Amino acid sequence: MKQNPTLNVDLTEQETCGVRKTLGREPNKIEWGMLDIMFSEHCSYKSSRPLLKGLPSKSKRVVVGPGYDSGVVDVGDGYVVAFKVESHNHPSAIDPYNGAATGIGGIIRDILCTNCRPIALLDLLRFGDLKNKHCRWLFKHVVRGIAEYGNSTGIPTVAGEVSFDNSFETNCLVNVACVGVGKRGKLTLARMDKPGDYVVLVGGSTGRDGIRGVTFASKTISEESEFDRPAVQIGDPFAKKVVIEATLEAAETGFVRGIKDLGGGGLTCALSEMSNKGGTGVEVDLGKVHVREEGMTPLELMLSESQERMVFVVEPEGLKQVLNVFDRWELPHSVIGRVTETGKVVVRLSGKTVAELPSKILAEPPIIRRRALMPRKHMELWRVIKPKQPKNLTNIVYRLLSTPNIASKEYVFQQYDHEVGIRTVVKPGEADAAVLRLLETDRAIAVKADCNSRFCYLDPFNGHAGAVAEVARNVVSVGAEPIAVVDGCNFGNPEKPEVFWQFSEAIRGMVYMLRGLRLPCVGGNVSFYNEDEGSGRAVKPTSIVMMLGLIENLNWISTMAFKQPGNLIIVVGRTYPEMGGSVYYNEIHGIASGKPPRALVEKEKGSINTVKQSIREGCTRTVHDCSIGGLAVALALMAVKGGLGARVNIDKVPKAGVKRLDELLFSESNARFVLAASENNVDKIVRFAKRNGVPAAVVGEVENSNHLSIFNREAKVIDCLVDRMQKVWSHAIPKLMGEIC
Amino acid sequence: MKVAVVRFPGSNCDLDVLYVLRNVLKVDANLVWHRSFSHNDFDAVFLPGGFSYGDYLRAGAIASHSPSLPTVRKMAEEGKPILGICNGFQILIEAGLLPGALLRNSCLRFVCKWVSLVAENDRTAFTQLLQRGSILRMPVAHHEGRYVNDEEGLRELEENGRVVFRYVDESGKATEAANPNSSMNNIAGICNKEGNVLGLMPHPERASEPILDPCGKTDGLLLFRSMLEFLRSR
Amino acid sequence: MRSFIVEAVIENKPLAKDPEGETVYRDLITKSGYEAVRGVRSGKYLRLTVEAKDADEARDLVSKMFNDLRIFNPVVHSCRITVRMNVE
Repeated sequence: MKQNPTLNVDLTEQETCGVRKTLGREPNKIEWGMLDIMFSEHCSYKSSRPLLKGLPSKSKRVVVGPGYDSGVVDVGDGYVVAFKVESHNHPSAIDPYNGAATGIGGIIRDILCTNCRPIALLDLLRFGDLKNKHCRWLFKHVVRGIAEYGNSTGIPTVAGEVSFDNSFETNCLVNVACVGVGKRGKLTLARMDKPGDYVVLVGGSTGRDGIRGVTFASKTISEESEFDRPAVQIGDPFAKKVVIEATLEAAETGFVRGIKDLGGGGLTCALSEMSNKGGTGVEVDLGKVHVREEGMTPLELMLSESQERMVFVVEPEGLKQVLNVFDRWELPHSVIGRVTETGKVVVRLSGKTVAELPSKILAEPPIIRRRALMPRKHMELWRVIKPKQPKNLTNIVYRLLSTPNIASKEYVFQQYDHEVGIRTVVKPGEADAAVLRLLETDRAIAVKADCNSRFCYLDPFNGHAGAVAEVARNVVSVGAEPIAVVDGCNFGNPEKPEVFWQFSEAIRGMVYMLRGLRLPCVGGNVSFYNEDEGSGRAVKPTSIVMMLGLIENLNWISTMAFKQPGNLIIVVGRTYPEMGGSVYYNEIHGIASGKPPRALVEKEKGSINTVKQSIREGCTRTVHDCSIGGLAVALALMAVKGGLGARVNIDKVPKAGVKRLDELLFSESNARFVLAASENNVDKIVRFAKRNGVPAAVVGEVENSNHLSIFNREAKVIDCLVDRMQKVWSHAIPKLMGEIC
Repeated sequence: MKVAVVRFPGSNCDLDVLYVLRNVLKVDANLVWHRSFSHNDFDAVFLPGGFSYGDYLRAGAIASHSPSLPTVRKMAEEGKPILGICNGFQILIEAGLLPGALLRNSCLRFVCKWVSLVAENDRTAFTQLLQRGSILRMPVAHHEGRYVNDEEGLRELEENGRVVFRYVDESGKATEAANPNSSMNNIAGICNKEGNVLGLMPHPERASEPILDPCGKTDGLLLFRSMLEFLRSR
Repeated sequence: MRSFIVEAVIENKPLAKDPEGETVYRDLITKSGYEAVRGVRSGKYLRLTVEAKDADEARDLVSKMFNDLRIFNPVVHSCRITVRMNVE
């Protein structure tokens, strides 16, 4: 039921009045339909734009900042990297396979708009408890959808993160990111700059996908049964692959001035945004659109969300050449209109103008200032009754390794072709981030995304500042310099002040850490209304931060596995008793409350610079950022990956305020790394740390044994077998999913 | 010496193979659109991996009707080296240039991981530089890689040394655990009677540079260099 | 109790895209000159052997099971079930 049932739109009273006033007349039915979709939160970002503007978005390397389909940064040697994150939460919750697949389809298109070749995908997922059948069903089919679509298009899915929490039980999160590479001089933008240019619609034919029969009073649609139309679109990765190759080849002609993909809001959104950005107008003849179904109305044509479609803006002299490329690839296309200088989107059919609206009204709906109010009981979430320390800590380590949030995600990434393209130098599971070499240069990029939803719920400011910090640490761990981020925000209903408070605190936290680390945010996505209709339970606030790092010397590439017996183990950064939101508290003790770790710029800078210098001076090639599960799990995974044991004195770990052993082992404090280095390099590392104002201490030694032995002074408190740890860690998720190991 | 890499709609690994041929092996390699692969002035041809025609109907089924196949057949008859990698292997089988069939992996999932292979035939156009019995490491990445054939077909392959690569564990044993897709007899790659047409599921182009190999080796490159050796001696 | 053969064909809903069917039609059949063929839809076929009192019971059982076990997703698939006597 629409907010304004008379006009059949979701615009508020204020918005409809505003439109009439600006336009100076009453819009017709088709125009209302176009406004309806452009004023939706999904297309307009009207609730979030005012706050998103506060994110730092400039740096020397930024070529294209927020506001376009992808952010673009310069990586040297004449190359640029485009990247973006998108969400497809609601479709995936009801049709996980097609929802996730078309999510991948959409994000690939965003990168294509810049004329960069998509070279990597990331999947960022949140599900409920895997003991729940419905959650397992969602998990299984989301992964399958991403796998089949990504693999088919030949783009490797190289990194990602999956985590589990009850708040995502019915509202799973499916965020996907894509990275592309191209030449700076050949960059295109989603803009219509020059009147006279042709507008060409390319790709899949247009049908009634994405249009709900009940929404539009159209005779043809009401004849069809609601049940004959799927609620989620179906993607065609083969068509997408052809679109990718044809797009890049068409852009090579030099006559393509702008490219935009058709996603949410279909043709309406693409035409409005492109003409608005270019300060021009556009006129299209709907009769020229190549269609899949008969008798589509103008509104249906303007709102269809049929997949695998792109819009090209082509210089007149090159039109024939560009169309030839599409013919060779057997890609359906139609020349549907031209760029004008009217500043309006003019829609014609059968010789008549059926809609005419200024691009600006469509593309820049007025913002809505929402109220942010901290929930009265929020600070009560920080109260906790500390649990008794378990006697058998060895057992706790095995249990943590087998909890889905920490367990191996091989079940997921083995279904993704992560090697296609022969760029993947550091593969999934080997380190804290993936590393892709840039062919024909001597450099590589690192990509990773992170967000601890539990931290973000307990303290949205610190949780999100921490997300930026953690993902910066992730790329530094593989030898990269962090250079830019994009963020995928997932929240509940923004009309509720408590939810909007979470959102504004999240942005505040990200601004704090981005400014402190001097990093720009070059784009992102906001998904609101992720809540359960019945219970009103919203997902835990989750703004996933994806980091792009640059590695200018391939010799700096590092991974987390212990490599050499005799290497000394060093912990950089201080551990605090910050247990709130930790996997240890949640999974072992069932405690969901507590204060999560603080994220402080100076501490992060100190640790990050220490590790950067250590890597560049050749002091270490074994680095792991310490996060969920704390130091014990970090050490365990470094041992498991290397197939080597270690002997560690946990009492040597730099700490403050920590009085309990379990807190020292499992605290998830920020700004910490674990390194392994040969004896003669240790002094240098400790000196770098001192210079950067952070503590660093040798805590142990890598051994050629099957034991991870952790001592507290003289007492051995943990003795885990490396092969047993490997087994419980890698079998946990396949077992839960009932799959053959 | 000129070699061709045929590109079908949906091919993904064409650029990867081309990169290895041009940048690592340094040969004159051309990317040829399948509809344009009609003239016969190439010394070898590669059918790369990917999802030609989306793998719709059956992997390689639609591509096997491509107008490029008659030229490929002619080159095969002339004894020129022809390598089908992954989807390329599927196309060669669908086109009848190699026997048997490639079905869905028994685990019903796409599998992407590094595997060990034993080289059992060192006389094909792509294995002359390999030692019989040597173990190579290469990645597989496929959904439909399970090799099947009837009893007679399998016997013909085994008795005539036409099984070129077999999935094995690190010690060289052809175990069930080492078989990523449950192929019959752990078969990973086979050749034709003459030994100039080879099809395999693993991707040698992904194991041709030390930076991409977790162990820093270049086992995949041996297949490409063997081809050069074969052509030089013709 | 009698034995029935229940055949289920699961397809994408009638008005949904069917990339596989479209590609087989466009890139294989029409390109090979079979003009009499006007369209192709793809689907999955399952044949179940079911013990039931009568055909209706067999059909109901299979329908319910398909929904419970999510053998097809009603959000995107349509499912056609036919029942016949098992004469083997």
